[in-house]
Amino acid sequence: MDEAIVAVKGVNKVFEGRGGQRTVALQDINLRIAPGEFVSIIGPSGCGKSTLLRVVGDLVEPTEGEVMVAGKSARAARLAQAYGIAFQAPVLYEWRTILKNIQLPMELRGFSKEEKESRAREMLALVELADFGGHYPWQLSGGMQQRAAIARALAMRPSLLLMDEPFGALDEMTRERMNLALQAIWQKTETTVIFITHSIAEAVFLSTRVVVMSARPGQIMEEIGIDLPLPRDERTHQLPRFFELLNEVRSSLRRAEGVHDGA
Amino acid sequence: MMGREPIGAPPPGAAEDVTGVDSVAGVVDETVGGGRGRRWLEEYLPAIILFVVGLGGWEMIVRLLDIQAFLLPAPTVIGTAFVENFDRLMHVGWFTTKEALGGFVIGCGLGIGVALATARWTAVSETLMPFAVAANSVPIIAFAPILNNWFGVDNPLSKMVIVAVIIFFPMMINTVRGLTLVDAAALELMRSYAASEWQILRHLRWPNALPYMFNAFKVAATLSMIGAVVSEYFGGNRSALGIFITQEAAQFRFANAWAGILVACVVGVTFYVVILLVERVALPWHVSVREK
Repeated sequence: MDEAIVAVKGVNKVFEGRGGQRTVALQDINLRIAPGEFVSIIGPSGCGKSTLLRVVGDLVEPTEGEVMVAGKSARAARLAQAYGIAFQAPVLYEWRTILKNIQLPMELRGFSKEEKESRAREMLALVELADFGGHYPWQLSGGMQQRAAIARALAMRPSLLLMDEPFGALDEMTRERMNLALQAIWQKTETTVIFITHSIAEAVFLSTRVVVMSARPGQIMEEIGIDLPLPRDERTHQLPRFFELLNEVRSSLRRAEGVHDGA
Repeated sequence: MMGREPIGAPPPGAAEDVTGVDSVAGVVDETVGGGRGRRWLEEYLPAIILFVVGLGGWEMIVRLLDIQAFLLPAPTVIGTAFVENFDRLMHVGWFTTKEALGGFVIGCGLGIGVALATARWTAVSETLMPFAVAANSVPIIAFAPILNNWFGVDNPLSKMVIVAVIIFFPMMINTVRGLTLVDAAALELMRSYAASEWQILRHLRWPNALPYMFNAFKVAATLSMIGAVVSEYFGGNRSALGIFITQEAAQFRFANAWAGILVACVVGVTFYVVILLVERVALPWHVSVREK
């Protein structure tokens, strides 16, 4: 597995509180992700899954351990714009139109005007927002804003997409539609995705692998390969195998929550 | 194959897109068509009625109760005085307006400059902020005689400096807030782009600060006219609005004094409205400007 796009080795992260108390957010995390994989990380609140994502993105520095992204250190990968990121909130700049928001990462890199324009239009079409480039974020619904955020994350054509509960704030119907859209984008762009979520169904539907974490300290409890056929669509939800995997992830999560409760 | 289908082909339950399009259509509707004049009227009619009724009531009360002119002249009397002294009022009014404008530019410029300099070094701005907030609550106009002394009582610069000092603190405090109170996720996004401090300032902190700055401009617009007129009360060039008002009042020509006050009011309000209009053009995206 030399060609892993993400390699996390022995990562610990300890947050020092104000009163000197230490919170172990991540403990001995080892994770390898091959190019093209869609890996969901699921676990109870406070299990450090968002921290893990930020460690991969070099937005949080690990206390110990090593992170390699696309063959470079996490820092070098960030400086080289090797990944795109999407958060739970769309985080669109309200003074920029949708098109200008998507152009932001290219603008920071000094892309030519034509390149910015054509690539942003291409990304807008990809997320089905072609007619909304001239609108301001507040003129769009939450789901449309989140799609714009995904377009922005893809604008630099990253080989890795980091997503931190991107659909967590959306209603159930919108969320399902966003899952279908993301699934299609992933197939088209062949990007590797790390996806943080609270939703078991979302994790199973989207992923090729689900990583289950436990809380305090945040550890990887189990990894479950998702062998549902690709591409996935509405019918995937009806497959018996889909339900089996749901139950498998659910009981794994239960074990993860129970580990430290009984102690 | 799924991948070839349009990604977001709206199924019947596409509530998300429906609401999105609706709100967009709503916005478009308001900018097209003739609804604008009527909306404007609906919005401002109550204020216009209140203004007219207020003036009429004032006139009636003064006449019915036979109030002495040195206490309160009737609006018509003030109006007559305004017309009779029009040339002089314009002359002194323009003189004072220039002081206010000069002070506004100096005060805002320095306030923004210091805010930019200190916001770059958070430690410095955090040290300075309590002092700035404290200085902001000092009645700076009390320093007017001292500043007159420093810069020469007849020098318009002394008035501009007073105006500038009054404006400086609210301008600086608001700008620092706008530059520093930035959404944490928006900053994290910038870091994920490996953006430089300069890029973060230019693309995130500065646009984020603009609404705060426009609020400060509005406060400063009002303060600058107050500062200029009141500082003139402490003496200075005779062709100034503040001097005009005090002299006319001292000689019991109260209608003239009121006409001078009227000029100060009109200039102050105009100044404020100009900033409001600039804000509309400059920040079409901001909550305060969005079409309802």
